Amino acid sequence: MTRRQLLHTMGTGFGSAAFAQVMARASETPSDPLAPKAPHFAPKAKHVIFLFLNGGPSQVDTFDPKPMLTKFNGQPMPAGNLKTERKTGNLLKSPFAFKKYGESGTEFSEIFPKLGACADDVCVIRSMYTDRPNHEPSLMMLNCGDKMPGRPSMGSWVTYGLGTENRNLPGFVVLCPGVPVIGHQLWSSSFLPAVYQGTYIPNNERKTEQLVPFIHNSDMSLTDQRRQLDLLGRLNRLHSERQAGDAQLEATIQSAEIAYRMQTEAPEVFDISKEPEAVRARYGDGDFGRGCLMARRLVERGVRMVQVYYGDGQPWDNHDDIQLHRKHAAASDGPIAALLADLKATGLLKETLVIIGGEFGRTPVVEVSGLVKVQNGRDHNSHGFSMVLAGGGVKGGMVHGATDEFGFKAIEKPVHPHDLHATALHLLGFDHTKLTYRYSGRDFRLTDVAGEVVRDILA
Amino acid sequence: MRRAVLCLLVWAGCASGQNSDQFEMRVRPVLARACYACHTESAMGGLQLDSREHVLQGGKSGPAIVPGDSDASKLIQAIRYTGARKMPPSGKLKDDEIASLEAWVKAGAVWPTGLKTGGKDAPYIISDAQRNFWAFRPVTRPAVPAGKAKNEIDRFLLARLEKEGLKPSRPADKRTLIRRATLDLTGLPPTPEEVAAFEADRSPTAFEKVVDRLLASPHYGERWGRYWLDVARYSDDKLNSTQEEPYPNAFRYRDWVIAAFNRDMPYDTFVKAQIAGDLMPDAEKYRAGLGFYALSPEFQDDRVDATTRGFLALTVACAQCHDHKFDPIPTRDYYSLLGIFANTKLHQTPLATADVVADYDGKLNAVNLKEKALNEFAAQQARQLSDILAARTEGYLLGVSGSPKDEQFDEETVTRWTTYLSKPAKEHPFLKNWEAARTAEERREAAGAFGALVVAVSSEKKVVDDKNHITLGANPNRQDLSSANLVSMDRDRYVLWEDIFGEAHGVLYYGLGKVDRFLSGAWKTHLDDMRIELAAMKKALPLAYPYLQTITDNDKWNEQRIWIRGSRDNLGDIAPPHFPQILSRGEPKPFEGKARLGLANAIANKDNPLTARVMVNRVWQHHFGQGLVRTPSNFGLQGDTPSNPELLDFLAARFMDEGWSIKTLHREMMLSAAYRQSTEEVPGNMEKDPDNRLVWRFSRHRLDIEGLRDSLLFVSGNLDTRDGGAPVKFGAENHARTAYGFVSRRKLDTVLGLFDFPNPNNTSDSRTETNVPLQRLFFMNSDFVRAEAKALAARVASAPTEAERIEKAYRIVLQRAPSAEERLLGEAYVAATDGGWARYAQVLLSSNEFGFIE
Repeated sequence: MTRRQLLHTMGTGFGSAAFAQVMARASETPSDPLAPKAPHFAPKAKHVIFLFLNGGPSQVDTFDPKPMLTKFNGQPMPAGNLKTERKTGNLLKSPFAFKKYGESGTEFSEIFPKLGACADDVCVIRSMYTDRPNHEPSLMMLNCGDKMPGRPSMGSWVTYGLGTENRNLPGFVVLCPGVPVIGHQLWSSSFLPAVYQGTYIPNNERKTEQLVPFIHNSDMSLTDQRRQLDLLGRLNRLHSERQAGDAQLEATIQSAEIAYRMQTEAPEVFDISKEPEAVRARYGDGDFGRGCLMARRLVERGVRMVQVYYGDGQPWDNHDDIQLHRKHAAASDGPIAALLADLKATGLLKETLVIIGGEFGRTPVVEVSGLVKVQNGRDHNSHGFSMVLAGGGVKGGMVHGATDEFGFKAIEKPVHPHDLHATALHLLGFDHTKLTYRYSGRDFRLTDVAGEVVRDILA
Repeated sequence: MRRAVLCLLVWAGCASGQNSDQFEMRVRPVLARACYACHTESAMGGLQLDSREHVLQGGKSGPAIVPGDSDASKLIQAIRYTGARKMPPSGKLKDDEIASLEAWVKAGAVWPTGLKTGGKDAPYIISDAQRNFWAFRPVTRPAVPAGKAKNEIDRFLLARLEKEGLKPSRPADKRTLIRRATLDLTGLPPTPEEVAAFEADRSPTAFEKVVDRLLASPHYGERWGRYWLDVARYSDDKLNSTQEEPYPNAFRYRDWVIAAFNRDMPYDTFVKAQIAGDLMPDAEKYRAGLGFYALSPEFQDDRVDATTRGFLALTVACAQCHDHKFDPIPTRDYYSLLGIFANTKLHQTPLATADVVADYDGKLNAVNLKEKALNEFAAQQARQLSDILAARTEGYLLGVSGSPKDEQFDEETVTRWTTYLSKPAKEHPFLKNWEAARTAEERREAAGAFGALVVAVSSEKKVVDDKNHITLGANPNRQDLSSANLVSMDRDRYVLWEDIFGEAHGVLYYGLGKVDRFLSGAWKTHLDDMRIELAAMKKALPLAYPYLQTITDNDKWNEQRIWIRGSRDNLGDIAPPHFPQILSRGEPKPFEGKARLGLANAIANKDNPLTARVMVNRVWQHHFGQGLVRTPSNFGLQGDTPSNPELLDFLAARFMDEGWSIKTLHREMMLSAAYRQSTEEVPGNMEKDPDNRLVWRFSRHRLDIEGLRDSLLFVSGNLDTRDGGAPVKFGAENHARTAYGFVSRRKLDTVLGLFDFPNPNNTSDSRTETNVPLQRLFFMNSDFVRAEAKALAARVASAPTEAERIEKAYRIVLQRAPSAEERLLGEAYVAATDGGWARYAQVLLSSNEFGFIE
């Protein structure tokens, strides 16, 4: 046998037609845990982008204007302060002015003018509340539906329920320049199969080929690798034939083919230099702006859920000086507005639920516990905060719920993270009580034993 | 389905107390599953369905039932979905469930006396039916079914297969069998020589000899100890939310576990050591086991959870807000156990003499003091210097802007001012005049005013700090802060102070290392001397002594109260430390003597129906791919029922009779014909038992990450056979066994995570097996796999011909000779490929045959 004959033999069954066949089968194989799956009922949203302003943005300085707070600046809360993590003092007015935007007239703070210009496309929930005034349990709650570590994250549940549309990319991607507090637990699949865990991308890394683990082979060309994989496929087939076929063995063979194609597609999607300069300018060259642009590109390519953390650690945690919110807002306002505008222009906003907010809010009263620092900041507030939702079947131009007159506590139509999760799952076509996974003899769900769909905000 | 049938049988067989049993078997489970999330203590709509009184009392819309008249009962209307209120809201109950509730109401709604869910003072009654649940019945040793098979396990399994009309698979060939057994017991493949020896051994005890050899290998403990570490949620670090915080001595617990498996420590002793090793005779042998708690996530409920799920397969932690919704576990049981752990504290037990400990602690303390003194001195000088430089602010500003320099400027300070002044946005308004100044006169004026302000904010800050320090006393911490009335500067003035004097970026702040060049004379000498002394002291510091991470009881016992609905602000009765009620005869009695030791003895006890069953099932699971009970850490009502209960009991009884020897258990299981079957399908079996629950063949499974990674290292010849010790982070350079790698609770290693390694924040009972593209990328592109492929290529390079090299590689990697076709493919690939051998070796290492246990 000549070398050419041999290579021909090796190639048999791996021509492009056969290859396409294998791939067609890949999406049909029921054992494929990431194959697209139908939800319980017709969904409004197919994707989720969660822009996480980590650290706890202050509602009264961003999305929840409180004239009474300005009026009674420097005076004590009439009913006394609610319990938060640290000692707090008198009412502290927002240093930022609020303004009405759009036909809906929703008010936004002057530090979010561009998001304000999108007012008619977004729904502001002003009555969020959660259980603890501490970062860790609140981050866990908003991401995983429980205060303690050990539960799967929302993105894991969503990909578990829906699979993903583009098998050449991970189904759930997490972007953060650095790592948020707690870190990897926040996108853990926990007891769900590992295939549903978030793929963490430190998006301050500018070398795109290093973003996905093991995506790049530094010493083999794709052609060489194709030949290597053809040999592997052939040997695996011989093995499978001896074993009279087996779904697990088949899954591995198909996974290798997908992995091969991921090598080309994954670095491409993170390479935002492919975007026109005008587009990049709208998102800006900051980490969060680049993250938002990557999120758009990922969703355009069928990724199920993308979470973009604003920054390393907890930048919005401004205990000492609320003026620092101006800086963080300046770095996020433009990118959020650009993302919403782009999604709207391509029609993707209709099927993409965008969630914007942090793990809790901040107190309308000043924090006084700083030993040698300035007292111009606010403590954590789990009693009331705001989140902004857009797209994916959420009504635009509306405000849902309200806090008390000073913005401390959600009093009208309060919304818990469980309710937010229930609503997000509803938009994705799920009855949140029925999206379950049996583990250790119990059916677990994202919403634990709680959660009500917030029907008022459904379009 | 099987469970429903079993329940019916039990019910039908119970003649006396029929009403009460009907309630227990048909009514209560439905209420628990469908209603209790909202209608126990949380009382939605005012309705509680947890006692007859509450049901009769009803909710906001009146009584829920009319005993004897189901049609008039609101509860029944609601579940029929005929009335205005439709319950449960998540979906209508099944017809037979509705019928059960109707029948129950018609029959007068009998509620067994005293049986109430939740509540404060009510005694918690466990019914006979609950006590008769399979997992809570005493372990008995069932008669071995008749049959030809020699091995008792086979007789139990064959009896079942025969009954279901299934046939076992044929025996696996010898090479498959020794590969399976070796990977199973050691996590490594056999060597070609071991395979050849086994194939040549025609004696009937050939396989027995292999099993005994493997059980004696130190690699055995590395494999099976690691499975236990899944249960123990072992981690080398804490879940610190902002930075890495390793436990430097955690590995001593890991190594103790591995050694315990290798020495075949009786399982009851192994259990006791982990709960109360410090309270046992010969404590020094067992204390290391306390790492089970000392290294756990720092939540007390985790400790109850890991204890009860890990040792007993009971989900007691589900009962912290309410009585367990499915199992007979009252809230009191949870708090009773919680109290035992709440009365312990973390402890470091030194593994060194008192002299060594005192010497090291003393020297370390001295180093810390010296370091503190050095930093304080430098900070003091830095603050003084900044004030000196601040006094010249006007001059610097004018100098920077080009006016004649009439002073002796410090060059670095000029640069710093220049940089600061050129920054576009300032967070304070105080430089606006300076920036607007056009004429020399305006500039001079603005610079002067700004200079005076800089000096003023420095003074103001000192006053504010002094006031606050006095308020707080000498030792400020967060506790004090929360009650103190502290003062602060005006925000803008503070920002200015931070810009000029702050330690982080202050224009005029020169910290340790930078302040040096401004010092001279006695000051300089003092600083240098302190530095030299500190360096010498650090050099002379001996290595930190080793210690065990353990727990110890608090000096004083604090009574644990029940937290009603899980709220620490809502205290109920005292829950004295006792064993869970379902595992006690009658009312549980408080432990006598040390509660923790009492708990250990109660768990590691032949009278306990769970401990042996649970462990036997864990061992079975790892040999056969799934447990006889497929929920190894939940033997409750919501868990799986055993596929072969008699076999489970037989194994558990014999396990205890054989002195709780795990190695004996392995031997029994592996010498069965069931274990030695092939993975082949048997016609007709797939339809009846597709999941192979009755073990008619061997279940093929993917190697877990330890098996994969260690096998890669083993066949490449790179495995570092070190014997435990401090963990090393993973990477291409780390050649130690995976069990010895750094396991992080905070950030699980990427590769471990990719291959389904369990989350060490919770006790974990089994591994999921995924086969996904990201895993293949690891095989295609990781430095690790490529390096091992290269090493494998080098290992076979000495064989004289290509054909022999290929044969050698097959023997090492797959323990068999290649077929003619495989050899031909290999030769062709190597001949046609640059750097062919390493790439070819990578293919073999990535193959399914290598990555699965057949």
